[in-house]
Amino acid sequence: MRRIESQIDTNAADYKANFAAMSERLKEFHARQHAARFERPQRDIDRLARQNKLGVRERLKLLLDPGTPFLEFSTLAACREYDGVVPGAGVVTGIGIVQGREVAIHANDASVKGGAWYPHTVKKVVRLLDVALENRLPVIHICDSAGGFLPLQHGVFPDRYLGGRVFRNQVKLSQANIPQIAVVGGHCTAGGAYVPTLSDYNIIIEGTGAIFLGGPPLVKAATGEEVGVQELGGAVMHTSVSGTGDYRAATEQHAFSLAREIVSQWMRTPKTIIETAAFEEPYYDPKELYGIIPKDRKTQFDMREVLARIVDGSRFHEYQPDYGTTMVCGFAHIWGYKVGILANNGVLFNDSSLKAAHFMQLCNQNRTPLVFFQNITGYMVGREYEERGIAKDGAKMLMAQGGSVVPKFTVIANASYGAGNYGMCGRAWDARTLFMWPQAEIGVMGADQAANTMADVKIRQLQREGKELTEEEIAAIREPVLEKYKRDVEAYTSTSELWDDGILDPADTRNALGMSISASLNAPIDDPHYGIFRL
Amino acid sequence: MQRIFQIDGEETDCWLGHDGSRFVLNTPTGAVACQLDPTGLPGGYKLRAKGVVRELRLAVGPEATFVHTDGRTYEVGRVDPAERLAGSDGGASDDRLVAPMPGVVVSVAVKPGDAVEEGQPLLVIESMKLETTLTAPRDGVVAEMPFAEGDSFGLKDILAQLAPEEE
Repeated sequence: MRRIESQIDTNAADYKANFAAMSERLKEFHARQHAARFERPQRDIDRLARQNKLGVRERLKLLLDPGTPFLEFSTLAACREYDGVVPGAGVVTGIGIVQGREVAIHANDASVKGGAWYPHTVKKVVRLLDVALENRLPVIHICDSAGGFLPLQHGVFPDRYLGGRVFRNQVKLSQANIPQIAVVGGHCTAGGAYVPTLSDYNIIIEGTGAIFLGGPPLVKAATGEEVGVQELGGAVMHTSVSGTGDYRAATEQHAFSLAREIVSQWMRTPKTIIETAAFEEPYYDPKELYGIIPKDRKTQFDMREVLARIVDGSRFHEYQPDYGTTMVCGFAHIWGYKVGILANNGVLFNDSSLKAAHFMQLCNQNRTPLVFFQNITGYMVGREYEERGIAKDGAKMLMAQGGSVVPKFTVIANASYGAGNYGMCGRAWDARTLFMWPQAEIGVMGADQAANTMADVKIRQLQREGKELTEEEIAAIREPVLEKYKRDVEAYTSTSELWDDGILDPADTRNALGMSISASLNAPIDDPHYGIFRL
Repeated sequence: MQRIFQIDGEETDCWLGHDGSRFVLNTPTGAVACQLDPTGLPGGYKLRAKGVVRELRLAVGPEATFVHTDGRTYEVGRVDPAERLAGSDGGASDDRLVAPMPGVVVSVAVKPGDAVEEGQPLLVIESMKLETTLTAPRDGVVAEMPFAEGDSFGLKDILAQLAPEEE
């Protein structure tokens, strides 16, 4: 496979300006990520120490194989909700390595509101369990939660993808023969009691861990019975009397070494085989991405320059290099895994949509996972293109993409607007993982267009009422709309709402994809089949 | 052309195959059977071909193999024909820049009569929320820039024209 010849001049003024702008953004991003992971009010840290509990990050360190990567999801979930006081939505999720096996991790963070479930906590946990189901990953739950956050119970409890879905997914995992372990390092009350009880294995830490449908205060209120935590649902009672708990651990260290021992008992099923090549680092430095991504989102850039800093050896076999050139398609390897890449080099036209559809069919036939790099402002509009059937060609692309049986992975590298997001495997289209770069934007249209459209509606309405508007009045309508919309399309809003699996430093993209692809091969790949293509 | 070997600067078109029991080197002048047996020394082999036996030491690099024999070192470069032939499909560059889609001119960087170099920005257009910089396809002199800043243009309109190249 040939190496991409980069045309980038790292001494050019543009490159340097872009590099400086991205470095600035990343400084903020890394600071926010660090804060969400580690910075807590002193009283919360003191409370954990008083309860004789380890923090969630220390627990992960005891559980995961030393020196192995942990692909953490949605570190900045809920960063724009609840006045920012629920960092990471109070839960840590991700894919890690235990005894050499890829496992999905769901760990409550008791340093955040006692690990209470907020609406975004539930969304994050349900997403993790969906990842486990799709990729057939065993799950390790680390339970330490105060229960649902009562003032917001409407956003936690009743709907299809809320609280009940956590337990429903646990049942589906068990049914699919995907094992789960729960380590109970705090209270599991009410619904929370079902996390350990629906797991194949559970371990309760003496003194701190407890499981009950109703805690002591609720029991007192309901029946008048006075009972302590340990008698009601402690480690000794559950492991020797009720059989609700399987193992009793004297300490946190004991609990996680037991969990590791249990994982090593499981049968190892062979992973799905796809084409691989010898591992090779990219020839061009991934950090050069900082200078390639333009500081102004409207400026066009060549996605081949991006790919050259992500794929093995910067090698890329381009498919149909002279046809539908706004859609770059081709084969490459990431961490040695063969992948088919679709990357936007401009608007999607009829020819570029057809090329994408055809290429995805090739990859499905060939069992080659698909990786999408989005920088898409949409499908082309206008009479010429409608007459050529742009809507029907777009539909073919969606049919091929949505009907793909191979694992798909998406990186929103810059713009992700409108139907282009759909064609390029946006969130609704079951990408196994979907990550965003910090400067990227997502929305039905660009901020200027949306603000103009919304302002126009308002202006016309006022005009119908006979009001003439001055330039200033129009600006006064437009500006606040523009400001709000600009914030709504930012990567931080997306990641706060869990429309993605996290924001990535572009230089980390290669590793995040490598780990995602590796995890996806725990699940089999079906034979290709599709719906009806509108020809 | 399956594989090109470069030996001390000279290129030979050959292909190494295996007939089930030994290696066969297919060259433009015929096939040569050969056998390579390790001697136990690091990189050490005995090569048998055309009735001759020779001791070699091999060092394999990413793009070339170094062969040490009889006190001399030969560099055998491996050239991928796909790489060698890449770009040979490119036609002569056009004198005109044709609009890839309808849009609006954001800025114009040159005027008729200006000398430009290949890759130099000529104008910036905007369409579908994207700004695209169009650059000179070759070195030359600008003949026409039909659109000014703010003008709209249609699909396949000529956005810039270079003066014909003098033979």
